[in-house]
Amino acid sequence: MKEMTKKQMADAAGRHRNGDGNPLGANSEIARKLKQYYDELVSDHVPDRFAQLLSQLEQTEPAQKKD
Amino acid sequence: MAAVSQNFKTELLGAIPSLRAFAVSLTQNADRADDLVQETLVKAWDKHESFQPGTNLKAWLFTILRNEFYSQMRKRGREVQDSDGIMTARLAVHPAQHGQLDLKDFRGALEQLPEDQREAIILIGASGFSYEEAAEICGCAVGTIKSRVSRARARLQEILKISGEDEFGPDAISAQVTGSNAA
Repeated sequence: MKEMTKKQMADAAGRHRNGDGNPLGANSEIARKLKQYYDELVSDHVPDRFAQLLSQLEQTEPAQKKD
Repeated sequence: MAAVSQNFKTELLGAIPSLRAFAVSLTQNADRADDLVQETLVKAWDKHESFQPGTNLKAWLFTILRNEFYSQMRKRGREVQDSDGIMTARLAVHPAQHGQLDLKDFRGALEQLPEDQREAIILIGASGFSYEEAAEICGCAVGTIKSRVSRARARLQEILKISGEDEFGPDAISAQVTGSNAA
């Protein structure tokens, strides 16, 4: 178990205070672009193959139990 | 094998958009990404009993996907990835005009990051995981994740020629990381 030095504690506190919850800086260009890049990927249309795959897995499963 | 609950299936379905986004971020290739997601769903289904209900399913799935990605990388060797890296490194990135970064340029810059840094900055900056969760997903220490995020951020700024992102202070993260973790 390591102990934090005073400097580290101060740094950690400073980071918390300035970080605004976003480690990349809430308003930074990189944080914004990263979000934009990722949100675009997340909102991409999901091909049917995945729902079909799960249905197949479900059907091949023995003794299906309802819950 | 115990039956897979409807609830589990519904949650798997719900996680697919996030899994695909993470997979594209890792592979930088839409087809490979979807194969990776498919593999992940099959694996998750097979080992659903090892998932602890009430814990973070998304983190559990991301862990499976990530492990699958690295095991595929090991199998196919690194040539493909490396030559891709060289190609993209040759693409010139123009300095942002009027402070606006083109998303295409950003994507190109992200591709140039080593996988470990790219996945760290994606998990923390985009997927919404905490440092602790990201460390768990990547099987490494929290300090390692922090240092990867910090290096990724610095590298992106360098590639994109962004300077003076001062709202936060460019060295605050790295100072903290080097101060507490020499890894």
